[in-house]
Amino acid sequence: MNHNSNILWIIVRRMRTPLIVIIVTFTISIIGMVLIPGVDANGKPYHMSFFDAVYFVTFMASTIGFGEIPYEFTYAQRFWVLFSIYISVIGWFYAIGTIVSLIQDKKLAAEIALARFQKKVDDLKEPFIIILGYNYVTKELIRKLSLSDKRIVVIDKDQDKIDELELENFMPEVYSIAADVERPEVLKLAGIKKRNCKALVTLFNNDFKNTKIALLARLLNDRINLIVKSTTQAQTEHLQNLGIKNIIDPFKIIANRFYLAISSPSLWLLKMMLFEHELYFKDKDRLPKGKYVICGYGRMGKALEYSLKKANLPCSFIDLKSAHFKDKKNSAIFGDAEDIELLKKAGIEDATAIVAATKDDLINLTILLTAKNLNPDIYTIGRENTLDDLTIFQSAKIDRVYMLEDIISDYVHKVVALPLSARFLEFLHKQNEEWGTKVLDDIRHNVTYNPIYFEIKISRTQTFAIYYYLKEGHEIRLRDILRSLKNREERAKIKVLLVKNRKEQITYLPDDDYCVKVSDSFLIASTEEAKEDFITILNNANELNYILTGRDLRFGLLKRILDE
Amino acid sequence: MNTQKVIAGFFIIMAMTLNFGFFYGDISDITQHNPYELFAAIVINLIATVLKLGDKTQLGSVLLATSLVADIQLIAASIIWGVSLYVFKADVAAVNEIVSLSGGALMANFVSVILFVGDTIKSRR
Repeated sequence: MNHNSNILWIIVRRMRTPLIVIIVTFTISIIGMVLIPGVDANGKPYHMSFFDAVYFVTFMASTIGFGEIPYEFTYAQRFWVLFSIYISVIGWFYAIGTIVSLIQDKKLAAEIALARFQKKVDDLKEPFIIILGYNYVTKELIRKLSLSDKRIVVIDKDQDKIDELELENFMPEVYSIAADVERPEVLKLAGIKKRNCKALVTLFNNDFKNTKIALLARLLNDRINLIVKSTTQAQTEHLQNLGIKNIIDPFKIIANRFYLAISSPSLWLLKMMLFEHELYFKDKDRLPKGKYVICGYGRMGKALEYSLKKANLPCSFIDLKSAHFKDKKNSAIFGDAEDIELLKKAGIEDATAIVAATKDDLINLTILLTAKNLNPDIYTIGRENTLDDLTIFQSAKIDRVYMLEDIISDYVHKVVALPLSARFLEFLHKQNEEWGTKVLDDIRHNVTYNPIYFEIKISRTQTFAIYYYLKEGHEIRLRDILRSLKNREERAKIKVLLVKNRKEQITYLPDDDYCVKVSDSFLIASTEEAKEDFITILNNANELNYILTGRDLRFGLLKRILDE
Repeated sequence: MNTQKVIAGFFIIMAMTLNFGFFYGDISDITQHNPYELFAAIVINLIATVLKLGDKTQLGSVLLATSLVADIQLIAASIIWGVSLYVFKADVAAVNEIVSLSGGALMANFVSVILFVGDTIKSRR
């Protein structure tokens, strides 16, 4: 479907009547001018030729008016001209009015927007990602992805949201269109069938909608990476059956983190370092081991229960539903005598931590404050739902805040920007505390406390020099290239977290003997400087030669002179 | 009866008949070809063209194309007439060119009518 031709059709259809009106009024005027006899300069009668008549009517009707030609008119002619002026000017105004109303036409404007969007997407040559729905989560996601120059296409049903997105002025430009994402042709319009479409992100709150879109997307293009949100077990199973690897379940993410934080702090830290957490424990980062009281037994409550049971910690529940609570008490403030009784019954006084996991921020906040009154030493964990209350949560000194939307956008960002990191996270969950401490110390000492992450693939476009070096049949081991550019005897501040080879086999934390091959993808933790050096080494034949042999290649004139 | 069909049919067929009326006669004798008839043929052809606008079907597109061909040839004929008369001040206008151009337009109009009739016969209503 081509939207450019649609625009033409809309204009043409609307202009049909005005065009006919113009043709008819012109014809009437011209015929009249030809038929009515005039008088020439010598007083002889004459008839206007067709050419004169067309010429005269054309400038008369367009209100240009060069005057009475070729000879001054008789009164009979002037009567006719008077009549012609009215009918032809009305004809023109009718046509102009139709054009003006066409400009304001919503349907036409929508078609023009569609055509522009289609052209932009068609012209997109770089890899890009389609994001469905524009809201707080995807906005954060777009912001983070834009920092690494990722190209993005956004579809949302709501024109207001799209306008909002355009005002954000993301760089590089984010292409957006208001359309119904559940229609396959809309997905096609967004370029899902293009070769350079790498991923599709659907994070709607409605699980069913996500699954439907995932199914459509899978059928339209089975090569792209689908990132789908699902919050229920049933939908997750559906998605797994569709073969979708990146299923985003915020409650599962929280449960996993919670479990790691309790059972294995170093693994937790290794995991969080991928989310820009520095490599040491801040105050209150360590979750206490002891009895937990959880308020709210919804999806989040159940997820936490699962991780507490896995960690063999006792917990008790207060089944509190925010909607019921507000109906019953007519307020969102927790903490009257009845509520305190509830907390005491759940064993708040000898509990080590309390989790407020309801859907209402104010209730969560008041639960935690009440609990602190009853037990000043208690560790407080809150679920935050909307961003507006961020400052309140901060000033209330809650020990740990889980914000679903932030967690989702962070996680999806990692999955999209660093696909290998998802594999690394999976791997972490199978390790133990001892292993974690070892790796953590390694990164702290040999890299930095505040590493950055990147992925690089041995290919012609990403690593020019080493690609050709390997193609020539040379063998390179990791230790050969993990050298500092300033002094090759020194080790570069780089830690390779994992390597994926051409056959999709993964080596976690490869040792220095690992033999580098073409098409290997690396996930690397390093410092900013080491990253730049590493990329230079892999791309520049001179630097690569220095790193491998310790000798500088000499070039051109200098080389010739020295050789002689 | 479909009013739209009547109007469209009227103009399409009239475009052809007027065209033929102008074309018919000795190709080298200007007096046998009436300028009013050429003017009427051009106007009716233009209206027929506008009526064919906006039909997205395959047939609609071909009909529109034939009309555009006829328009161009007839307007070209009238321009040649005007230019030879006023610019070159020829006593006898370039009759051969004018009439043969209108003959070409007639062919296009003929194809258009055949397509139109064919479509009508095909339609079961």
